[in-house]
Amino acid sequence: MTKPRVLLLGEILHAKAEWVALSDVATLSVCDSSTKEEFIKDLAGKYSDVTAVYHCHMDDAKPGANINKELLEALPTSLKFICHHGAGYDMIDVNACTRKGVLVSNTPGAVDGATADVNMFLILGALREFNLAMTNLRKGDWNVGVPLSHDPEGKVLGILGMGGIGRALKRRAKGFGMITQYHNRKPLSEEMAAGAKYVSFDELLATSDVISMNLPLNAHTRHIINKEAIAKMKDGVIIVNTARGPVIDEQALVDALESGKVRCAGLDVFEAEPKIHPGLIANEKVILLPHVGTATYETRKKMEITVINNIRSAITGAKLLNVVPEQIHFAP
Amino acid sequence: MTKPHLLLLGEIVHAKAEWEALSDVAILSVCDSSSKEDLIKDLAGKYSDITAVYHMNDSKAAGVIDKDIIDALPPSLKFICHNGAGYDMINVNACTEKGILMSNTPGTVDDATADVNMFLILGALREFNLSMTTLRDGNWNKGVPLSHDPEGKVLGILGMGGIGRAVKRRAEGFGMITQYYNRKPLSDEMAAGAKYVSFDELLATSDVISLNLPLNAHTRHIINKEAFAKMKDGVVIVNTARGAVIDEQELVDALESGKVRCAGLDVFEAEPKIHPGLIANEKVILLPHVGTRTYETQKKMEIQVIENVRSAITEAKLLTIVPEHVHLV
Repeated sequence: MTKPRVLLLGEILHAKAEWVALSDVATLSVCDSSTKEEFIKDLAGKYSDVTAVYHCHMDDAKPGANINKELLEALPTSLKFICHHGAGYDMIDVNACTRKGVLVSNTPGAVDGATADVNMFLILGALREFNLAMTNLRKGDWNVGVPLSHDPEGKVLGILGMGGIGRALKRRAKGFGMITQYHNRKPLSEEMAAGAKYVSFDELLATSDVISMNLPLNAHTRHIINKEAIAKMKDGVIIVNTARGPVIDEQALVDALESGKVRCAGLDVFEAEPKIHPGLIANEKVILLPHVGTATYETRKKMEITVINNIRSAITGAKLLNVVPEQIHFAP
Repeated sequence: MTKPHLLLLGEIVHAKAEWEALSDVAILSVCDSSSKEDLIKDLAGKYSDITAVYHMNDSKAAGVIDKDIIDALPPSLKFICHNGAGYDMINVNACTEKGILMSNTPGTVDDATADVNMFLILGALREFNLSMTTLRDGNWNKGVPLSHDPEGKVLGILGMGGIGRAVKRRAEGFGMITQYYNRKPLSDEMAAGAKYVSFDELLATSDVISLNLPLNAHTRHIINKEAFAKMKDGVVIVNTARGAVIDEQELVDALESGKVRCAGLDVFEAEPKIHPGLIANEKVILLPHVGTRTYETQKKMEIQVIENVRSAITEAKLLTIVPEHVHLV
């Protein structure tokens, strides 16, 4: 009996040996379709017997970057598993996958440490307003126009979304003397909350000195931080986002920074990245990174291995190790 | 009996009420001498009966308290209470010889400095500076390579005082393993799990080396060419202590060769002048000595100096006497 086919959409950079080792249970194909149209043809041709896909977070223009309804209709009936490289999977229409009987996995856990590290760097950079100090220094203006800022010690950190990354962030924030509260789809067990207080969304907005976005992007969370939400926040609040740009209404954030309602912000993600609202670039206080959340050798390798492990489990056991939350009740 | 005379060399910005409250035990003078020469004259004139000094290193006439000024201090002057953890700008030996006791502000500086320290460790390990500047130049992620996680890396702390221990508490949350070198090993309780190693072992086995020691004759250029040669290839160096503990030219050379993968610096050998080799390096993350520059910490430091002054005036003893003078009391 021929081995099932696994199709790689994207590139494996670090776990090449582990990928090649899958050939004991699968036939490995690397997608070489050069356009979206060609890809759709190939799905009816050379890839028409694919069982599982290794899906990378790619540039929008690349074939297979967005797994939407249109693409799903073209997928062969043999395709049962999409194993995504990344914690966020908003570029995959999960509901459409579910309707088609296709299960999706992501890479939670593997991303937590690195993303939380970026998150904490941005919290410090925004609270302490380091960006202006750094840019002025390099221009030859030592400490010119750099005001005193504020310590994290004793400040309330409100984590919106207490998943793996949110909890990893809390562990880091503790060392700086911050007090953590959180809002989540559901309250966590006491053990998992590890001392963090569960609060309603409105209470989080009203009582946090620093608000950190650590939730997935979906229809419910798009622009969850909008003009109304910002109005409920403390004056001089700090906002940090390492989740997805569109959880924040970027225009509303720019307005709030200009008015001073938001004292400073630290952002690793943007609504229309790589395009950034010019109002953010013009603001010398905010600290901005280009979506580097997991950009380390160690973490990228861990993520690749997580995907490969999901694929192996899918091929050999017809189940995923990290099926996405929306599909947990469908998975065997 | 008239109250003792207290001289302010510098400015009180946050704890004005606490400063004014000292007038119950002292006569308060704010130094208005416009230069060092002027001050030396005034020390023989209107300030010739001062008992204690509140010192800040941004004082116009006496930012640096050198031997000239110390020689000119009146015999009544017994205490110099400095605002700052580092006091290398005061000639401690000359004070000792004249029987003048000094205090600094340990403790109050720890958290804010450790916060900057951890920011720089992350910024250097993850090489964020290039990402931030290319982003603002309109080149999203251009030429930005993958970097490294702090998790599981060995952090070597050189100088395990209050700031070094505060850095360790932060580094733990990121999964770093801490070892340290110090004048003397700490008790188990204070070391809190950090391993005491020799200076050479710290250099040879640390992935990140953090400078958290005072500047003095023993520690000037403690990180020099020989020290760099003993370090791991690709080491990351962070300094929030004093620029001169590192030979800045050697650091620039080591960055250029790649021996040092990246650095995070809040202090520089000749600040505010910075070695052009550091400015030219887009990977290093540089801050302009912002260690304690928050409202909360600046106020805590001012109050600590004021409390030292009060104790000096009312009880003839300092609360946080500098290590070099401990044996004198």
